[in-house]
Amino acid sequence: MSKPTPSLSRRRFLGGAAFGAAALTLGSCSQSKPTITYWNGLTGADGKIMDGLIDQFTRETGIRMEQQRIVWADLYAKLQVSVPANEGPDLALIHTVEVPHFASDGILEAVPDATASGKGFKGEDYLPSTWQGGTYQDKRYAIPLDVPQHVLYVNVKVLKEAGLTGPDGKPKVPTTRDEVLAMAKQIAKGDTFGFAIGTTNPGRYTWGFHNLLWQNGANVYATDLKKSGLAEPAAIEVAEFWRSIQNQHKIAPPANANCRDAFIAGKLGLWIAGSWNFTGLRDAKVDFVAAPVPRMFKQPVVWTMPHQFTFPKKKAVDAAKRDAAWAHIRWMSDHVAEWTLKAGQVSALRKPHSDSRITGDPVLSVLLGQAGNWQSGQPTPKWVAAENITRPIIENVYIGQKPAAAAMDDLARQINALSD
Amino acid sequence: MKPRRALRRGAFTPYLFLAPGLVLFALFRVYPLLEGLWLSFTNARLGRAQQTFVGAANYLRLLDDTRFHVSLVNTAYYTIASTVPILAVPLVLAVALNRGVALRTFLRGAFFFPFTLSVVTVGLTWLWLLDPVIGPSTYYLRAAGVPVRSWLADPGTAMWAIIVTTVWWVTGYYLVIYLAGLQDIPRELYEAAAIDGAGGWRSFWSITMPLLRPVFLFVLVTHVIGSFQIFGQVFVLTNGGPGDATRTVVQHLYETAFQNFFHFGSASAMAWVLFVIILVFSLLQFRLLRGHTQY
Amino acid sequence: MSRTGRSWRAALTALMVALAIVWLLPAVWVLVTSLKLTENIVRVPPEWIPWPATIEHYGEVLFSSSRTARIGRAFFNSIVVSLGSVALVVLASAMAAYPLARMRFRGRNLVFGLIVGSLMIPNAVILVPQYVLVQRLGWLSTYQGLIVPEAAMTFAFGVFLLRQFFLTIPSELEDAARIDGADPWQIFTRIVLPLSQPVLGALAIFAFRSAWNDFLWPLIAVNKPDMFPLPVALALLRGAYAAESYGPIMAGAVLSALPLLIVFLVANRRIVEGVRVSALKG
Repeated sequence: MSKPTPSLSRRRFLGGAAFGAAALTLGSCSQSKPTITYWNGLTGADGKIMDGLIDQFTRETGIRMEQQRIVWADLYAKLQVSVPANEGPDLALIHTVEVPHFASDGILEAVPDATASGKGFKGEDYLPSTWQGGTYQDKRYAIPLDVPQHVLYVNVKVLKEAGLTGPDGKPKVPTTRDEVLAMAKQIAKGDTFGFAIGTTNPGRYTWGFHNLLWQNGANVYATDLKKSGLAEPAAIEVAEFWRSIQNQHKIAPPANANCRDAFIAGKLGLWIAGSWNFTGLRDAKVDFVAAPVPRMFKQPVVWTMPHQFTFPKKKAVDAAKRDAAWAHIRWMSDHVAEWTLKAGQVSALRKPHSDSRITGDPVLSVLLGQAGNWQSGQPTPKWVAAENITRPIIENVYIGQKPAAAAMDDLARQINALSD
Repeated sequence: MKPRRALRRGAFTPYLFLAPGLVLFALFRVYPLLEGLWLSFTNARLGRAQQTFVGAANYLRLLDDTRFHVSLVNTAYYTIASTVPILAVPLVLAVALNRGVALRTFLRGAFFFPFTLSVVTVGLTWLWLLDPVIGPSTYYLRAAGVPVRSWLADPGTAMWAIIVTTVWWVTGYYLVIYLAGLQDIPRELYEAAAIDGAGGWRSFWSITMPLLRPVFLFVLVTHVIGSFQIFGQVFVLTNGGPGDATRTVVQHLYETAFQNFFHFGSASAMAWVLFVIILVFSLLQFRLLRGHTQY
Repeated sequence: MSRTGRSWRAALTALMVALAIVWLLPAVWVLVTSLKLTENIVRVPPEWIPWPATIEHYGEVLFSSSRTARIGRAFFNSIVVSLGSVALVVLASAMAAYPLARMRFRGRNLVFGLIVGSLMIPNAVILVPQYVLVQRLGWLSTYQGLIVPEAAMTFAFGVFLLRQFFLTIPSELEDAARIDGADPWQIFTRIVLPLSQPVLGALAIFAFRSAWNDFLWPLIAVNKPDMFPLPVALALLRGAYAAESYGPIMAGAVLSALPLLIVFLVANRRIVEGVRVSALKG
C-alpha cells in the first residue's frame, strides 16, 4: 500500500479546508433557518390544504415546520399536559374560546400590543369581533386567522320535491323563523325532515343553541361574566323553541341523527351548520345552496369560532424560533385568501374580503356577507366548561324529557357552581 | 443436569424471578397509582405546577356530585345488564361450533373479526347502522312496517343499543376462550350420556356447564372488571347521552381530568372510589362462587 | 355418523354460516365503504355493492400529500412497539407468574393481590403521572417510551393468566427434574415454558392487540410526528368538528385491522389450546 506524499496531502487538505470553510459560511446563511413545531386541529380535508400552504411557506422562506395535527378536543388535552412539562410547540392554532382558560392557566404567552403592531398586526386591519377575541383581561394572547361560522344550507333536490323551488329551479330561501317553520313543515314528510341545526347529535349541539341565544339577546353569562344569564326569559324562550322543533312542529330529526349525512342523502331540507361542512358537501356532489343564517329571533346573529395563532409558554424562548413563528403568522395572513378559497374559511383580516375570487364564489360571498353579524363566545375561562355541561341538558330539552324553564334553571345553577 | 448452587440461593430465587416484572410493575404501575392516590388528596390540576393538600375534600365533593352518582348508577346498570348477553351469546356460539360443524376456521374468524377493529371504527359503523334517518336498520325496519324509533336517542333503549354493539364487538374474544374450555371436555362423557338416553339439553346442563365452570368464572371476573371501566364505545356512540342516561364513571373521570377544568385531583378520587367498588364486587364474586374452583 | 347426525350437522352449519354472514355485515360495510366513490357513500336505500369501485381512498391513506400522516412510517412504528411490548410483557409476566404459582415465599399473596388489584383502576388516571415519569426518563417520543408503558399495562393481566396455567402443570414433571438436580431456572426454561407455549401465544395475541390499538398514551407521549403509531396517524383522517370523510377513515380501518386478523388466523390454534388448559384447571 503506498502512502500519499505528505506535501500533496497537505495541499489537498488546505484546499479542502478552504473550500469547506467557504461552503460553511455560505451554508450557514440557509442553515440558520430554524425548524419550528406547530400544533393545530385541522384534521381531515382542511389539513391537506394547510400542508400545501406550509410547503409553499417553507419553499419561500426556508423555515421548516414540524406539524402535529390532532383532533381539537385531544389537542387541547395534550397542550394542557405538555406545555407545563416544557414539551409544548413553538406555535399553536386554537379556537378563540379556548384563549381565556389557557391564558388564565399560564399555558399561553402574552403578546404585548407593541410587539404585535411592530410585526405589522394592527387592530384596524381585522374585524373587531375577531381581534377582541384574542384577548383576556386586557392582555393579548393571540392573532386571529380565520372565521369558521354558521351558515344555512338549502338542499335543492329536497326543496324541489316539496314544491319550494321557483320556475328557474332556484330554491326559496327562508330569512325569518316563520318562513323556516312554514317551509320545514312542507318538507317534513315520510322519512324526510325539514329543518335541523348541527352536524351530528342535533340535540346536543351547544353551538347552535348559543347561536339562537345570541339572536335573542341572551347569553350564557350575564355581562359581568359572573352569574349565568340562562335563567332569564330570553334564554328560556330559546329553550322552548329548541324543544318544539322535534316535539311540537315535528320538523327536526331525532337527537342523535347525523344531520350532515341526512342532508347528503337528501333527507333534510334546511340545515344550519358550520361553514366547514361545505367542502364535504361539494365532494359528495350534493346540490345545495348556501344562504345567511335566518333571523330566528330578534337579530340575525351568526355564531363564529375564529382560529387564533398563539405562543404556548416555554421555559426559555428561542429568539430565532420565535421570529420564525412570527414569520409564519405574517405569511399566512398575507396568503389567507388562498386558505379561504381552498378550505372555505373566511379570513379575520378585512383586506381579502374584497378579493374578487372570494366575492365571486356563491358560498364564500354568503359567509362574507354575514360579517356584520358575527359573534363569538364570552371571554371567561369557564366558557368551555359551561359548554360541556350545557350539552346533556339541552339534549334533555330537545327530546322532551325536561321542560325548558326547569332545564334552564338547572343549567344556570350548575354553571354558577363551576369553581375556578 | 448438574446440580448448581440452587439450594444455597433458594431463598432468593422467587424474588429473582419476580424482579424484572416487579420493577416494571412498580415503576410504571404502582408509582403512578400511588401518585394518583396522593393527588386525590390535593387540588392538583393539569397545568398547575403546585398543588396543595386538601384532605378528603375531593372525596367529600363526590357526595354532592350528582353527575358522578348518575354515572355510577349507569355503570352498574350496564355491568349487570350486559353480563347475560356478553357471557351467553359467545357460549351459545361456542357450543354450536363445538358440535362439529364444518368450516370452523371461517366461522371462528368471522365472529372474531369485529374484535380486531378499533373502538372508533366500531362506533362509527354502529352509529351509521342505527342512524334514525339514513341507517340501514331504520330503513329495513321501516320497510318491514315496524315503527321506527331512535334507539340511541331514547333514554330507555340507549344503553341496550350500546350493549348490542359491545356484544358484536367482543363476542369473538370470549368465543375463543369458551371453545378452548369446551374442547377439553372428553367426548366420551357426551357419548356415555347419549347412550344413557340424555338429550342435548340434559348433557349441556349436567356435563358442559359444570366442567366449563372455571372458564366461566374467569370470563365473568374479567367481564365485570372491564365493564365497570367501560368508556370507549359509549363515548363514541352516545357521548353519555341522551342527557346523562349513558354517562359512565370513566367518562366522568376522563372529562374531569382532560376537559373542563383538568381537575386531576378530583379525577383521581373518582378512580379510587371506583376501585373500591370493583374490589368489593370481585371479592363478593369469589366468595359466592368459590366452591369447587380454587382461585 | 348416522344420517340424522349428518343432516343435523349440515343444518347447524348452514345456520351458523348464515349467522356469521349477518354478523359480518357491519364489517362488510366498513370494507365496502372504503371502496366506494365519495358521492356514493351516504345513500338511502343503503347500497352493499361498491359499484363503481375505487381504490382512491386507500391511495389517499397510504400515499397522499399529508406528510404529517405518514401512514407507512406509522405502520412500522406500530409493529415495533407492539412486538416490543409483547416480548417484554410475555417475558416479565412468565417470570413473575412462575414463583407466584410454584414457590412459597413471604409476601406471595400480597404481591399477587396487588397485581390483580391494579386491574381495577382505569388507565386514564395513570396517564399523567406516567407522562411525568417518562419525561423525566427522557423517553418521550422514543420507542422505549411506548413499549415499556404498554407492556406495563398488560403485565397484570398476563400474570393472572399465566399463573392460572402454571398451576395446572402436573408438579410431577418439575419434581422429577428437581430430583435430577436441575435448578429453578432450568426447570422454568426447559419444562414450564415449553409446556406453556399455547398460553404464551394467547397472551401474545392479546398484548399485541392492546398495544396496536392504544391511542391515548401515544397521543401524549409522542411529540415527533415520525414516531406516531398507527391509531394516532389514522386519527388525522377524522374530520374536524365531526364532519367525517368515511372513505379514507374506513380504508384506514381496514388497513389497521389486517395485521391483527393475520396474527389471529396464524395463531388461532395456539390460542384455543392455550387458554383452554389454563382456565379449565382453575
